[in-house]
Amino acid sequence: MTLEPNRPLSLRFCEAMISLAARLVPEPQRHDWKREWDAEAWHRWQFLFHAGEWNGREALGLIRNCLGAFFDAAWHLTSQETLQNRLRERLRSPWTCLGGLGVLLLVLAAATSGFPAARDLFAFHTSLRPARLFFIWLHPSAGGGDQGLPSDLPPAWRWRSQLLESVTGFTAGHRTIQLANLRSRKFRLVTAEKNLFQTLQVRPAFGSLPERDGIVLTDAAWRSLFYRDPAVIGARIRIGDESYRVTAVLPASFHFLTREPTAYLLEPFIPAYPPTRVMVVARTKPGVTEGALDRELTKIAETATYYFFKSELRYASFNSALWTPLFVFGIASLLSALFVVAVSRVRIRRFRLAFQPGSRRASARRAGFFVAKTGVALLLVFLAGLEWTRSESAVIFASWDPANGPFLVWVYILCSMGVLLWSLADQRARCRVCLRLLCFPVRIGCPGCLLLDWSGTELLCTEGHGVLHVPLLAPSWDEESDRWIALDDSWQELFVHSK
Amino acid sequence: MSDSVRLSHTAALILQTVDQGCRYGFDIMDATGLPSGTVYPALRRMQAEGLISSQWESEKKATAEQRPARKYYRITRAGSEVLEQSQRRYPLLGRLLTLKARR
Repeated sequence: MTLEPNRPLSLRFCEAMISLAARLVPEPQRHDWKREWDAEAWHRWQFLFHAGEWNGREALGLIRNCLGAFFDAAWHLTSQETLQNRLRERLRSPWTCLGGLGVLLLVLAAATSGFPAARDLFAFHTSLRPARLFFIWLHPSAGGGDQGLPSDLPPAWRWRSQLLESVTGFTAGHRTIQLANLRSRKFRLVTAEKNLFQTLQVRPAFGSLPERDGIVLTDAAWRSLFYRDPAVIGARIRIGDESYRVTAVLPASFHFLTREPTAYLLEPFIPAYPPTRVMVVARTKPGVTEGALDRELTKIAETATYYFFKSELRYASFNSALWTPLFVFGIASLLSALFVVAVSRVRIRRFRLAFQPGSRRASARRAGFFVAKTGVALLLVFLAGLEWTRSESAVIFASWDPANGPFLVWVYILCSMGVLLWSLADQRARCRVCLRLLCFPVRIGCPGCLLLDWSGTELLCTEGHGVLHVPLLAPSWDEESDRWIALDDSWQELFVHSK
Repeated sequence: MSDSVRLSHTAALILQTVDQGCRYGFDIMDATGLPSGTVYPALRRMQAEGLISSQWESEKKATAEQRPARKYYRITRAGSEVLEQSQRRYPLLGRLLTLKARR
């Protein structure tokens, strides 16, 4: 076999790739590694060339095969003991823990397109004038959770109330709608009495509110359904068996309960049959107190044959209702913290010990890490819960009572409990000085000889700061079941590798 | 060592190929149909575990033939034992390789 004078471009490309991949291989093995891959590529080309089978397809195959050089080089790189040790050290570092939580926060931001529900909460309803705006709902005293009101109550209140300026019943949900071009889509639809926007004091960006019935679109719905078509007014949308005309588009800054694209179906009234529970939003006259309003609305309801005990109607001002998820989260975190403190036997004495003068700096560092880690994890739970469940149900009922409140309450209670338990467990498994995760667990003693000698697990700080003794059984009279034994400088030579 | 090593199906296939006489990385890829990104790291791992050994062919011979020297692999005694265990664990292993060779 003789050396071919003109090596093809594909072989040169493969050699370039191998040279590039070789940079990943550790220095002592690099020469042999490159030599092996170069020889394999060369022999493959020679074999095919002399067999008369060298063509474009085989050249591409050779390039594809040589791509594996990167995987092979990566294997060499990651199988290095020093690199593995360094990686393990990184994984144990407190910064990795905080960084991981930060990455999760970024992933959540990317997955939800920038926390739309949270933005709703903090920069909400700029076009609404929420003063004197109330949500009203029913909380039966005979059991059961918060619920809407019978659909014929809002008209009764509207006609007879002296204290309300305006009141509107509405229902919200997802319905299949069909556009004129026969496109069908599942869409968020709010069915409301036709005075909804008078109650909210919002004017459309263009078009006019319907005289009798019609569809009003949010700006986001106009964009997603009609691609900002200026001729949208007059277009027909079919919902179920009925067809409705689009009469107006709302300003881009308007959001009611959610930022999700929404179509509002406005009708003269919401029919009482089949029986429907409606949410109610009302605007009171200036200076009206909640007590006076409750007395009047209860009386009108009785006239309309609905007998509520005084305590059964619940009110929440629009402003306070919007902050409900935050209150819910605060209450849930507090309950979880109490639970976790109770089950983890955290003693106040420990915190006092932690701030003794001798260890003030290390204790402050530990406390700072604990607060940062728990804070970021709780923020994650708050945002994820809000984005997952949406604040809508929490806002409408404005309830933070776990027995009656929305699903969000339970999400927050369980998740914040999990976060606090994890945070404490993680803190205990770290070195008291450098905050790295302890490692090399060693079982010591015989579980059967518990009365005769100590039995449990020993964990070591790789930097040689100390050893943690975790007993197999923690006796109830023992104040601190886990014992941290600090190692002095005489031990340092055993840990030279990490310096 | 052979008692403690349990090979995956892919690694067993590669080991069997080496045992049957495919001695170079690219030959093993042809015989098994596996990509180079799988074959080479598997060869390295098996070499580290002592199941195969590698050797450079004689530089003198390669120079005489005006070509670069190749590195070839062969199965060790421990590798043969592990292969036997793997063949009991994956009974269709031998047949799979014969079918691939026929194609």
